[in-house]
Amino acid sequence: MLLTTSVGSFPKPDYLVKARNRFAKGEISREKLRELEQQATRETIQLQEELGIDILVHGEMERGDMTTYFAENWEGFKISSPVRSYGNRYYRKPVVVGKLRRPKPTTVEYFQYAQSLTPKPVKGMLTGPYTMCDWSFNEYYRDREDLTMALAEIIHDEVADLEKVGAKYIQIDEPAISTRPEELDLAIKAMKVVTAGVKAKTISHICYGDFKLIYPKILELPVDQLDLEFANNKFMHLDIFKTPKFTKEIAVGVVDVHSHRIESKEEVKQNIKRALQLFDPQHVYIDPDCGLKTRTWEEAKAKLKVMVEAVREVKQELGLN
Amino acid sequence: MKTTVVGNYPKISSDKNAANLRNSLNTWDQKKITAEQLEKVYEETIKRVLKEQTAAGIDVITDGQIRWDDLVTPLAKNITGFEIGGLIRFYNNNVYYRRPVVKSRLSFKNYSAVEQFKFAQANSSKPVKVALPGPFTFAQLSLDEYYGNVEKLTMDLAEILHQEVRGLEQAGCQHIQLDEPSLCFNPDKVDLAIRAINSVFERVSTKKIVFLYFGKVGQVLPNLLGSSVDSIGVDVVSHPDNLDTVIDTWQGKEVILGCLDARNTKLEREEGIRQMVEKASKRVPLQKISLSPSCGLEFLPHETALQKLKLLADFARKLN
Repeated sequence: MLLTTSVGSFPKPDYLVKARNRFAKGEISREKLRELEQQATRETIQLQEELGIDILVHGEMERGDMTTYFAENWEGFKISSPVRSYGNRYYRKPVVVGKLRRPKPTTVEYFQYAQSLTPKPVKGMLTGPYTMCDWSFNEYYRDREDLTMALAEIIHDEVADLEKVGAKYIQIDEPAISTRPEELDLAIKAMKVVTAGVKAKTISHICYGDFKLIYPKILELPVDQLDLEFANNKFMHLDIFKTPKFTKEIAVGVVDVHSHRIESKEEVKQNIKRALQLFDPQHVYIDPDCGLKTRTWEEAKAKLKVMVEAVREVKQELGLN
Repeated sequence: MKTTVVGNYPKISSDKNAANLRNSLNTWDQKKITAEQLEKVYEETIKRVLKEQTAAGIDVITDGQIRWDDLVTPLAKNITGFEIGGLIRFYNNNVYYRRPVVKSRLSFKNYSAVEQFKFAQANSSKPVKVALPGPFTFAQLSLDEYYGNVEKLTMDLAEILHQEVRGLEQAGCQHIQLDEPSLCFNPDKVDLAIRAINSVFERVSTKKIVFLYFGKVGQVLPNLLGSSVDSIGVDVVSHPDNLDTVIDTWQGKEVILGCLDARNTKLEREEGIRQMVEKASKRVPLQKISLSPSCGLEFLPHETALQKLKLLADFARKLN
């Protein structure tokens, strides 16, 4: 009950940021970079264990971005130079220039490495087909549906491979799903392909959208758990989920990942209690709004710490166990 | 045939030797450079953007909105009554903006774009256009916690934008554009939007432009053609019917055809643009048509944005 987790990414330590730059310039080897990625992964796992988080993430130290990483590893993609997504944040956008193909499992090695470091469950982390399509330039497929369904096949194979090596939780993020409500059916159809026959618990993270436009239809997305941001907009859209009743597990974002400010424990406790007024505690997970990669390591740590403490106190106060 | 751009432009260059605004903003955030040093980088970047558009051969350019994170917050910060809220998606793009939250009655505090215009025009041989959020779009992109009445909110924003526009006019700006993408998605509010637009442009003698992008214009363009604006820009890429709407409903005003896809890297073939222009010119006289990308170019990586600008200008030159 009220298990704590994270959405996915962790801040990259300075030594890794530097190493990634040097690798990009050809100054260090792939092996050296991998060594440092593993070091950062160890630190990420260790931090979460120290804080007492229940379901861990590996921190995505090997990934620059949640779509680009996959595009770099799959045939048919090339990568653009950086485009801005908000504020001073940029990403290299995938460009689809040919038929897509996954030459080999993409995320299994890093998942296995992280899981080998801890007895706690580590989530397998993927990006969903609709979001991969929406966040790419398409110069090859006939339309968005063709591209999305081609991606769904590939991502299904990745899910199956993660399950095969023991992943108990597999998260397939669809932050773009509210972008074009008229395409929600397409996103659901694609996710059906992705999660077909999967027994692991499946989760989808959705953020920065207008939930009004996709609720309750989004409950048809074939995953066990939805992971949503709430803190960033001060829980304003909580009411949307009142009717009809929310029928899946929910992970509730209780700290804002886009501000330097560390929330107070009281504030986070209040956030949790607000969510519990609506959702059955049996089915509630607690996490930050989104990936932590834009925070500093200290900010991420402080935000998670306050989150874990707040959960502990709320559980005590409400007699939940 | 004249060419123009819609508004924003990539802030970072593919040229590694160019001033790097992204890095400078990071180092400024970490307090490793001063505000003056950052200001220099802004100025260099804006000069580069002006120069690139001019060199490509675009006739009416913008400063690329280099100092703006998005369409609305730069103005909201200069309006009493707004607070800046959380991140939210900008229409159907993987781009986010901070939503202005209306906390009390809105009123004009400071100019937002006037000094920026002066700097840009002083550094450009071409006329610099200023694109502002239209009053209706501004209201739709905000979160209203005060008015409880979209009409009052929109008309107050129109009054505030009117002051901004008068300031721009006094500073010598000749081309003022209101971006109204929200109108495409709320066609039932077109009368309110037009009233607000007319109010913004009241007694203004610059070229008055409204640009519609991202959506379908079928239900709003006919009414907009009856407003006080001189020129209407239409994204004819995002919705294939939009070109037909222009042709079916045109009456007298200048039209900017947003004919190059500013949201996909695939380069257009000249033949495709030619067909669009030929189709439009059956109804709209060629001298009333100008060409632009479908929306701001900042959705594209820098090198593609530049390629598309050159394509556009080269094509227009061949037509002349």
